[in-house]
Amino acid sequence: MTLELRQVGRNINNQWIVENLTMTVADNECLALVGPSGCGKSTTLRLIAGLDPVSTGSVQISGRDITTLSPAERSVGMVFQSYALLPHLNVFENLELGLRIRGVSKRERTSKIRQVLDLVQLWNRANNRPAELSGGQRQRVALARALLREPEVYLLDEPMSNLDAQLREDIRPELRRLVLEQRKPTIYVTHDQHEAMAMAQRIAVLNEGKIEQIDTPYNLYHNPCSLFVARFIGRPQINCLKDESGHIRGVRPEAIRFSDSGLSGKLQSREWLGNSQLLFLETQQGVIRIMAPPEQAIPEQIRLTWRAEDEILFNAETGLRLSR
Amino acid sequence: MARDHGGAKSGCRSLRKMKAARFMIIALLIWSLGPLAWQLYTSFCTDQALVTPFASLDQRWTLVHYQSVLNSNPPFIRYLFNSLFAGVVSTVLTLLLAIPASYSLSKLGKRSALFFKCLLIGCALFPYVLLFLALLEIARYLQLGNSLIALAIPYAALSQPLAVLLLTNAFSDLPPELEDAARVEGLSVLQRFRWVLLPLISPAIASTAILVFLFSWNEYPIALTWISDSDQLTLPVAMARIAGSSIHSVPYGPYAAATVIGSIPLIILVMVFQKPIVSGLTTGAIKG
Repeated sequence: MTLELRQVGRNINNQWIVENLTMTVADNECLALVGPSGCGKSTTLRLIAGLDPVSTGSVQISGRDITTLSPAERSVGMVFQSYALLPHLNVFENLELGLRIRGVSKRERTSKIRQVLDLVQLWNRANNRPAELSGGQRQRVALARALLREPEVYLLDEPMSNLDAQLREDIRPELRRLVLEQRKPTIYVTHDQHEAMAMAQRIAVLNEGKIEQIDTPYNLYHNPCSLFVARFIGRPQINCLKDESGHIRGVRPEAIRFSDSGLSGKLQSREWLGNSQLLFLETQQGVIRIMAPPEQAIPEQIRLTWRAEDEILFNAETGLRLSR
Repeated sequence: MARDHGGAKSGCRSLRKMKAARFMIIALLIWSLGPLAWQLYTSFCTDQALVTPFASLDQRWTLVHYQSVLNSNPPFIRYLFNSLFAGVVSTVLTLLLAIPASYSLSKLGKRSALFFKCLLIGCALFPYVLLFLALLEIARYLQLGNSLIALAIPYAALSQPLAVLLLTNAFSDLPPELEDAARVEGLSVLQRFRWVLLPLISPAIASTAILVFLFSWNEYPIALTWISDSDQLTLPVAMARIAGSSIHSVPYGPYAAATVIGSIPLIILVMVFQKPIVSGLTTGAIKG
């Protein structure tokens, strides 16, 4: 089973919310959609789910064109950012609703719900209303509902952004276990590039409704195709130095070393990150960020250097990468 | 407390504020409940006691007014049921039309929704008394006179603007993701109404229903002109007839008794639905 988008676009009032999206998500693959807010990530999911109509292009699942089908006729399991559980129904009834509508018998419904609630370890909360559950539990119920749909595609819309940082880290392995083991194409929308790298095999970086680059986390980090991608992927952010020839040189903070010659600078501030320290140095070319080992001593005369192969050149006007 | 001067002062101030608030509440209660209490008192007084309130009488209290009202022909209960019938039919009719209308209105784009809302507010502000001659002509032409069901039609129409405005706010207050999730689950529009939308806006529906019911319960000019058959009269018209039944005197006692009886269903209704009314009105108010 594969999910394929071909030149998909959505236009509202002569404005492209997403434009010319083409991508393929393979069986058993998790693709993350990342980008700043308003870049069209959630719209893309809604187009795939059929919640919004596409203006151009087509959506296919395993070669079957589903572009004009209603959400009910497509087989997608979606987890919403707010979980979207019905407040007046308890957990069991929330899960039962979709099954009942799809004509599953009472006995089968009960056994299926029992099974999926065991899987997300919430069978003991079956009679609770959503308001009586914690954020993490609600998220698991929403996930259980998507699993019960037995969909051909999973769509996760910022499923963890309402959880605190610690819980997010705890839930990540569980999410991987539950969703990725279904071996279905999965699209994971997030604004957190860190989460995207942790969850997905490939990441699509969206900018103003267009795909900047789709690649593996490794390639996005080391071979960004544009300044936008280079800046969006990787924390602390890449250093962008304007060169005499009008190009922009991007250097990752961990690639910069102290040396006897090179760019001179002055220490502005430092942040301890535990396993490393982040130094902010003032230079003629602006503030430069350096990731250094925690035991790194800071020399009195600061000179900075990096290897030529760690440098990525961008066109200053278009922001596109120049071949090395 | 003695040490903390500021605290003591502000304590004093808040105490004074509370006293002032209490006074205001009591004044407000007297203002609004006073006439009702007076009616209640009048309904149980003998005619003698009414005209000489301070004289000492052998017989001050009586149930005779209630007896005369309840034993009239047709019995007063009849009007109560007529009003109840017209009220229920017009409420159901209003909701049947207003719920789908407000759902669509809440889904419209901002500009067109604003346009239609302005139109509705315009309709709601229009003094409906000016319509009743025209309505009477229509009723005559369609032969809708002397029918309580027909009476519910103008009631539902007149209640429509307010009902649609209240319910539209309720629909737009719902998080859109709830309906999206239901669509992904495969629910059709009607199924979404049944399982998602109606349960979630039920407080707004209850408060709207009560307001519509109150309007039809109290409505006078249309009921007066549409209905002449004394078996079909609604409460306000029947009460006016009691008040004007004699040229020489005003029957204060029976009139008061009729008022009391006519208020009881409303009081029960409001007490039962008090909570949804308040919450429904405020959710509308916050969104504005």
